Amino acid sequence: MSKLSNIWVFSDIASRLPEMIAAGAALGEKVSAFIIGTESEITAAYTLGATNVYYLGEKDSQKITEDYSHTIAQVIAANSENSLVLLAPTKRGKALASKLGVQLQAGVVNDVTEINVENGVHAKHMAYGGLAIAEEKINSQIAIMTLSSGLYEALPVDPSSTGEAVNVTFVEPTTSITCVERRAKQGESVDLGKAKRVIGVGSGIGSQENLQVANELAALMGAELGCSRPIAETEKWMERERYIGVSGVMLKPEVYLALGISGQIQHMVGALGSQTILAVNKDKNAPIFQYADYGIVGDINKVMPALISALKA
Amino acid sequence: MKIITCYKLVPEEQDISIAANGSLDTNKASLKINPFDLCAVEAGVQLKSLLGDSNITAMSIGGKALENPKSRKDILSRGPDDLTVVVDEKFEHLLPHQTARVLMAAAQKSGFDLIICGDGSGDLYAQQVGLQLGELLGIANINAVSKIIAAEQDKITVERSLDDEVEVLEISLPAVISVSADINEPTIPSMKTILAAAKKPVTSLGATDLELTEFPALVELTSVIAPKQKARQNFIIDGDDEQQLTEFAEHLRKALN
Repeated sequence: MSKLSNIWVFSDIASRLPEMIAAGAALGEKVSAFIIGTESEITAAYTLGATNVYYLGEKDSQKITEDYSHTIAQVIAANSENSLVLLAPTKRGKALASKLGVQLQAGVVNDVTEINVENGVHAKHMAYGGLAIAEEKINSQIAIMTLSSGLYEALPVDPSSTGEAVNVTFVEPTTSITCVERRAKQGESVDLGKAKRVIGVGSGIGSQENLQVANELAALMGAELGCSRPIAETEKWMERERYIGVSGVMLKPEVYLALGISGQIQHMVGALGSQTILAVNKDKNAPIFQYADYGIVGDINKVMPALISALKA
Repeated sequence: MKIITCYKLVPEEQDISIAANGSLDTNKASLKINPFDLCAVEAGVQLKSLLGDSNITAMSIGGKALENPKSRKDILSRGPDDLTVVVDEKFEHLLPHQTARVLMAAAQKSGFDLIICGDGSGDLYAQQVGLQLGELLGIANINAVSKIIAAEQDKITVERSLDDEVEVLEISLPAVISVSADINEPTIPSMKTILAAAKKPVTSLGATDLELTEFPALVELTSVIAPKQKARQNFIIDGDDEQQLTEFAEHLRKALN
């Protein structure tokens, strides 16, 4: 497999760095990491597999991460080989990606789910709310991507791997954005995208009382409760954050149980990442059964209680 | 304040179907204003009511669809004072770095203090245009804006909702901000605003009206295709008598283990 000569990596969230360095090692001969933070983070980057570390200094509460775009661009531009810049798939990562894209005349692709560096640099990402995968070819000498999480496994930590970081002088941004306050996010909302087990509820559930029964089943399964678009937007029985499918949540659970969901593709794209799909629907011809591993054509009012008593037994 | 709000027409994703070969069929999908951009327009309208004495220009770049009077009325019924569209066949399927370059030329021609974009669009969801536009213009630009707190003639104060924290930012103008979908709940146009929309001025430009340089082909779209599906067991129990219910429960139990 051919490799690029150098992969640059930067993550604004430390927990994402290991898999990004791993991606760099898989795609490039060298991995160069940018670090903002402490000495120990430099050490950590080397033990995680970085070939070089470029140190941008300690965290500065007056600056926003995007203020470093010119600093990062200058380092990359000074090393003029064919390279790929990998950033975390965060809001900051995406802002940096576009800024670097203009500053370095480089092609940008966000939320990349697959990278191929044979015969040029190609990247895939989700489009049309998950209905499709778009593939793009990056023609510029430098390619910039924000990398979806979970694609590469972190390399084993090698404590003997060390190095000297290159200190990089900060380049003042030409425009002014001042951070006047920073605060933790209020009330962590539910993240169905990370749940291992999910029940999806559709219009076939029939009533809000039945939603309570689905809740009881979810508790027994250790599952989060999600829903189809009509339940969130038409009935407004559940919050928008729980709506699965196009422009909603994309699931990746081990088990997905669909209750009274017909199985339109707009919903299914959010559920197809599930390892096992089980479906309950009264309509034998509901499209959901085409996507199911196990299905039952039956009355939700009989099936839910039966599942509850079976799981209690 | 002179505000530009940018929007894109995208196919209604609820009406897209997938052909047997995996390609998307958008024939039955009518074009609608990208939902993120409705939030951008609404943010502009709210900002104007905060500031008074402002003008909002809605702006879009694209193909012939932008000439449709219904779609023009649709955007204008959301509150902008006037509309500028740049229409050319070759603008039909632009990639973000190209859209940003055309918007730059159009925005420079019309003049502005603040440009508001949506964080992304429902089709390719590239999430780049606002940021690249700001960067090309050499002015302040940021994404993920979740609230506009205050505005003066030369700066705005916004909240930015990030994955791990909220930043409060003072942004000096001129600037480009991209707003997230949670910034507001766009107002549904009333009969009155729909009627008023028909009387608002529209400027229609072509590629030759702008000072455009050649686009670099930094990126090209090579395919758009439905993802391959995992093979499923398709073991369907047809009926819900006691034995069938027990059998299904057993499959659920196995899946959970």
